[in-house]
This record gives sequence, structure tokens and C-alpha cells, in this order.
Amino acid sequence: MAVIIISSNSLPKAAQIAAETAKALNYRCLGRELLREVGEKYGVSEERLHKTLDELPSLLGVNAKAHALYLAYIEEAVLAKLSQDRVVCHGLAAHLYVRGVSHAFKVRVLADPSELIRSIMREKDLSPEKAAKDAKHEEALRSRWSLDDYRVDEAAPSLYDLIIDLSRMVPEEARMAPGEAVRIIMETSSHPKFKPMTYSVKAVNDMELASRVRVALLEHFPDVIVQADGAAVVVETTAVPREKGKKVEAIEKLVRSVPGVGHVEVHVANDIIRQAAESFR
Amino acid sequence: MAQRLEVLLLDDEPIVGKRLKPALSKLGCEVEIFENPSQALQRIAQKAFDIVVTDIRMDEIDGIQVLEEILKKSPRTKVIMITGYAMMSVAREAMGKGAFDFISKPFSPDELRKVILRAAESLGQPMDFDATRAAGSE
Repeated sequence: MAVIIISSNSLPKAAQIAAETAKALNYRCLGRELLREVGEKYGVSEERLHKTLDELPSLLGVNAKAHALYLAYIEEAVLAKLSQDRVVCHGLAAHLYVRGVSHAFKVRVLADPSELIRSIMREKDLSPEKAAKDAKHEEALRSRWSLDDYRVDEAAPSLYDLIIDLSRMVPEEARMAPGEAVRIIMETSSHPKFKPMTYSVKAVNDMELASRVRVALLEHFPDVIVQADGAAVVVETTAVPREKGKKVEAIEKLVRSVPGVGHVEVHVANDIIRQAAESFR
Repeated sequence: MAQRLEVLLLDDEPIVGKRLKPALSKLGCEVEIFENPSQALQRIAQKAFDIVVTDIRMDEIDGIQVLEEILKKSPRTKVIMITGYAMMSVAREAMGKGAFDFISKPFSPDELRKVILRAAESLGQPMDFDATRAAGSE
């Protein structure tokens, strides 16, 4: 169940390197094609799931509630695959929510800026100046997106085990062909410290169960935080005192319906904002 | 009859050894328990164990040092690290230094049993999983 997660400032570059790495290692390559499966399961169009991964919530696009829900669907699907298979994952933001898993080897690939600009020029039919501006805008958007949803800037080096800057690849041909980057990823990820172990496999299984519970709860209770430890699940939420009992009961009922859940604890903090608002009425 | 696996179990909490020894003995292992890492290392200097199960956080000498000492003396020994303070960085350090597996506490005897079975297989002394499960439930 070894896992390699590849993130990049260029989605096509991440996809290319992930596919080559998966092929070389005989791992499963997991990318955006998973969104079709997720869409079919939950009755959401693939386009909206792509937008969720690429854009900030907006009134005209995917609203904040749907954005959080769709992300939960995607996380659930990704974690299910990571818990079953040897996988190279890209384009699904897994580097942001697969955390604390010692056998998840995270790679950041920095595309050669000139190549990145050329690909934007081709893709969007822009002048070099406008393409450069577009690349900068996209980078800022990705930072905001990851900070808003996961409280971490995806450009932060501390998120990754390995950073490959393709513009510094020597010889120059290596900047274009993924071969050298794949070789470095394979070599580094084979270190024993990235081997799956009982502790790290359990961490993925716990995350997978928590993600299924979140999906079960989010539609009705968007403010929940869920953690799992083995078959035990802890849900944190808020409520005004008079609604506390009813909310706990409803959450417990939903959580118990999720396969694999043995024990449920619901911790409720006072919803001081609602309480204050109600006291002014 | 298959050779019995020699297992050394080191944890400064006496309850851990008390709880795990019967489970491992039922698997067919010869188990020696230690609560003091120095004494465990002295014993390891005298005898090469097949498997060592060691806590990480102990006073005096920590489990990572124990791991390094064991592998220096007996590279074939499978060292299983257990800890109540599991963190990714420690897990990676242990695996990087050659640990066979890393388990966070609390764990059930059955979880340890599965790891022991894998270690036995990797030592070329595979054990029958169903038979050991039956033994464990006795």
C-alpha cells in the first residue's frame, strides 16, 4: 500500500510524471479520472467536481456548502483507493489532506517557468506577457484555495518530502522529458523510511473511515470535525444548549449507520455566536 | 517440529510485558521480558534473538538506540517498535534505521500477533496463521 503523491504548479506536468512513475513502479495511477466515479456515485457533474478542485467557492460557480461537500466526496474516494492499493496520486489535492502518513511520499514538481508560460499560451491562446500574468494569477489562486480549505499553502516546501525544480534539471532535455524526475522519485521513495508500517497503514484506514463519516454527516451538519481511531469515531460540533441533546442523537444515529463504526462519541461545544444572536432578539 | 522463535520484549511499563507474554507464548514463541533497557541490551549482547519488540520512549536509553544496538550485533533480528507517542517523524526514523515495523499503542495482542507472523515469514520460519489464532483464543 505504498503511496506517492505528486503535486505541481502544472497539472499536465504532474499527470505526466505520475503516469510515468506509476508505470515504472507498476503502481496504480490515480488522477482526475476518479472524478467521474465520484460524480456518478453522488449525482454531481464532473465539471462541478473539477471546479471544486480548481476554483474558490463563489455564487456563480460552486457555492461554499457544495464546495465543502464535494471536497469531502473526493477525499472519501481518494482515501478508499489509498487504503487498498499501491498508488501514485496526482491532481486530487491529496497532498493537503493525507497528513501524518509516513508511507505517503509527497513530491512537489515545479515546472520550468518558460515551459509553463508556453503551455498557457498554447492552451489559452495568449500573448507571452498575458500568459506570464495568468501563471502568476493561477499560483496565487492555488495558495488561497489551499489555505481556505486546508489551512496550508500548497506551495510551502515543508509539505513535501521531495521538491523537483524542472528548470534546474541538467541536462536541459531532462526539463521536458519526465524520465529524470521519475528516476529521482523512484530512487528517493524507495528509502525504508517511506515503507508502509502498521502505524501508517492504520493512519490511512482511520482517515478513510473518518472521511466516510464526514460524508454521511456533512449534508445535515456542515460544521462537524470527525476523527477516527480504529472503529471508534469522535465527532466535534457546536450547538445552542436547548438543541444539544437532539443534535447528539441525530449525529450518533447517522454515524452508526456507517459501516466499520463501532463506538461513537459526540463532543458538543456551545455555539456562542448563535447563542449571542438569539439573546439579542 | 518447527524451531521456536526467540523473542525479547522490552517495555518499561510492566503491564505491557505481562499482557503480551501469554499471547506470544501461545504463538509458540520463547519470550523473555525486560523492563530495563540496559539489562535488555546486556542480554542481547549474549544472545541473538529472532525478534525484539521494544518500546521507544524509555528513561536512560530510548528504543531507537536499542534498535541500533541490536542491528549492529544481529542484522537478521526483526525489531518491532511500539510507542504511545507515535509521530510520523519518529516512525520514519525507526524504519529508516532498519525497524521491521512500527506500532502505536494501544494495540491488541492480535495486532501484534499479525506483525510477529509477518516477521516470522520474513525470517524464513513461517507460522500457520489459523493455528496461531486458534491458540490465541484458547
